[in-house]
Amino acid sequence: MGEAFLAVKDIYKSFNGQKAVNGVSFTIDKGEIFGLLGPNGAGKTTVIRILSTVLAADTGDATVGGYSLRKNPAEVRDLVGVCPQDLALYEDLSALDNLIFFGQLEGLNGREAKAQAMSHLALMGLTERAKGKISKFSGGMKRRINLAIALMGNSKLLFLDEPTVGIDPQSRNNIFETIRGLRDKGMTILYTTHYMEEANRLCDRIAIMDGGKFVAMDTPQGLKRQIGDPDKVTLEDIFLKLTGRSLRD
Amino acid sequence: MKRALIVALREVRTYLQDKADLAFSLLLPIVTFALIYGAFGGSELFHGTAYIVNEDVNGTYTEKLIEQIGQEKSLDVELLSRTDAESKLGRSDLNIVLFIPAGFSDKLNTNQPAELTFLQRGNGGQEGQIVASIIRGVVSKLNQEFSVLDQTKQILTGKGIVTEQIAITTQKFLEREQEYPLIEVKEVAIGSKPNMVNQFLPGIITMYVLFAINIGTAAIVEERRRGTLERLLTTHLSPSELFFGKFMASALRGFIQTFILLALSYAVFHIFTPLSFLECLLIAFLFTMACSTIGLVIASLSRTQDAATWIGVTFTMAMTIFGGTFFTISKGSALYTLSKLSINTYANNAFKTLIAEGGHISDLGLEIGVIAGVTIVGLVISRFFFKAVSKGK
Ligand SMILES: Nc1ncnc2c1ncn2[C@@H]1O[C@H](COP(=O)(O)OP(=O)(O)OP(=O)(O)O)[C@@H](O)[C@H]1O
Ligand SMILES: [Mg+2]
Repeated sequence: MGEAFLAVKDIYKSFNGQKAVNGVSFTIDKGEIFGLLGPNGAGKTTVIRILSTVLAADTGDATVGGYSLRKNPAEVRDLVGVCPQDLALYEDLSALDNLIFFGQLEGLNGREAKAQAMSHLALMGLTERAKGKISKFSGGMKRRINLAIALMGNSKLLFLDEPTVGIDPQSRNNIFETIRGLRDKGMTILYTTHYMEEANRLCDRIAIMDGGKFVAMDTPQGLKRQIGDPDKVTLEDIFLKLTGRSLRD
Repeated sequence: MKRALIVALREVRTYLQDKADLAFSLLLPIVTFALIYGAFGGSELFHGTAYIVNEDVNGTYTEKLIEQIGQEKSLDVELLSRTDAESKLGRSDLNIVLFIPAGFSDKLNTNQPAELTFLQRGNGGQEGQIVASIIRGVVSKLNQEFSVLDQTKQILTGKGIVTEQIAITTQKFLEREQEYPLIEVKEVAIGSKPNMVNQFLPGIITMYVLFAINIGTAAIVEERRRGTLERLLTTHLSPSELFFGKFMASALRGFIQTFILLALSYAVFHIFTPLSFLECLLIAFLFTMACSTIGLVIASLSRTQDAATWIGVTFTMAMTIFGGTFFTISKGSALYTLSKLSINTYANNAFKTLIAEGGHISDLGLEIGVIAGVTIVGLVISRFFFKAVSKGK
């Protein structure tokens, strides 16, 4: 194990008496892609919201690059970039203006923000649409901009909450390449998804969450080995075995 | 601070880009002004209708009379049949009708005295009396013309001048006299009825600026609805910077609207001096800032658009009622004590002092203090509420 860039300790969070996160602890190493899997309502998004300082945990704390969520939220914010599960864009601004705006808020100057924005648009295959208003974009294009915004600035840790939902296979491949490229440059990434195939391909380690708790945490290979021959079982088998087959709300 | 400015610029940019929103917000003060103007301003000149029953069919003098009445700027002519007129008078649909009897022109032609009659209910009503007196003016002018013509004829007849020539020349002189009268009476309007505007304009401006609360509220609530609020808070932007940026943008937006309203009032009502106009703008700007922060406080307390709207409406109504915006609250009453709690009271007093009482900014220490105080306290507590309310959800 390398050095932990993110260290989460015993986080609890209830909404109106309902436990959404029920004692979660884990670490992610610098330069690691960590997959967070779990059925609907497992608590994945809540964990990300807490770690990105917009929601206060009831108890527990975490450190990002040595800074505590509770004591140094501003320093934590400087280090993290977030791609929220729900689209968070200004529909009446152009794609480029959206990227530049968030880039400037991440501390880039105008010129840097524009350069980064153009390179992220290229990465998402949307250079041609740079000046187009978001409101005129297709659902998948909006998703790609949503992700591109998370990459703006000089973050060291990315929280990507189901970033590839509704994105076509061509762009998805492109995005995987980008994420791997970022990891190779030392970026640390927390990634949630419902696509097992995606988690299998992309993640160095995976945690499976259910009912606000982690029910398993290992490498994809390690998880598969838990129930049989790693070449024969899939992540999906493990997921269903650990979280049950009943439907979630 | 730089990031607050970035947030404010983004807000202004969105505002400028949404053409429908922009047009609406610029039109709003214009429409408000039109309503004020319709209620208190505009021309105070009389305009009425002369109802005439003409039984002197084809009478030359009657035609001339009706034509001249029709030329009066303040009168329209409507011809009625006798039965129609009588039944309308009977039902009080009309109060006064001019009655021209048969043979009216013939009598004049043969130098006999002729008669016109006003049929009227009671004294004919205020409007009726005005119409009647305008008609009397027209008739007396005609009378003069007749007698001048008549006397000239009498003097000149038998002196070798053709009668037609006398008539034409006399008519020429009369026309010239009408065009260039020796004594001309002019009406010059200097603004509109002053008292009404002075009395109500301060209250209307106060109310109008108060609506800037909604702009402040919407600035935050919209971000929440869009999902961008949380995203903003994961950047380097601090909640204080966010609120300060929103404050600047909504104060500016609100002030543009207020400026239009005030500028129109300045141009049309003539109740400002250039100095008092600038002083009013300054007070309006301070008050807009206070309202924006109140909007931010409301937004930080409410989770949904609905909640924000209801808190906003209730607050606005309470402030308006307690503030005695449109009526005077007598000293010593319970409402008088309550009115001290309404920011409208201070804004309204300030505008009244400047507009109606000829006072100056220097007389407004208390008012400016309270309004500026609300702004500063509002900015601080909106931040505080925001943290307390949103972190748990
Ligand atoms: N703001 C909130 N108020 C009340 N309950 C909430 C709130 N946010 C989340 N919850 C509840 O917390 C639990 C965990 O929700 P969360 O969004 O973290 O799940 P998730 O794992 O991200 O699910 P999904 O895969 O559907 O995105 C759910 O039961 C949800 O109803
Ligand atoms: Mg989720």
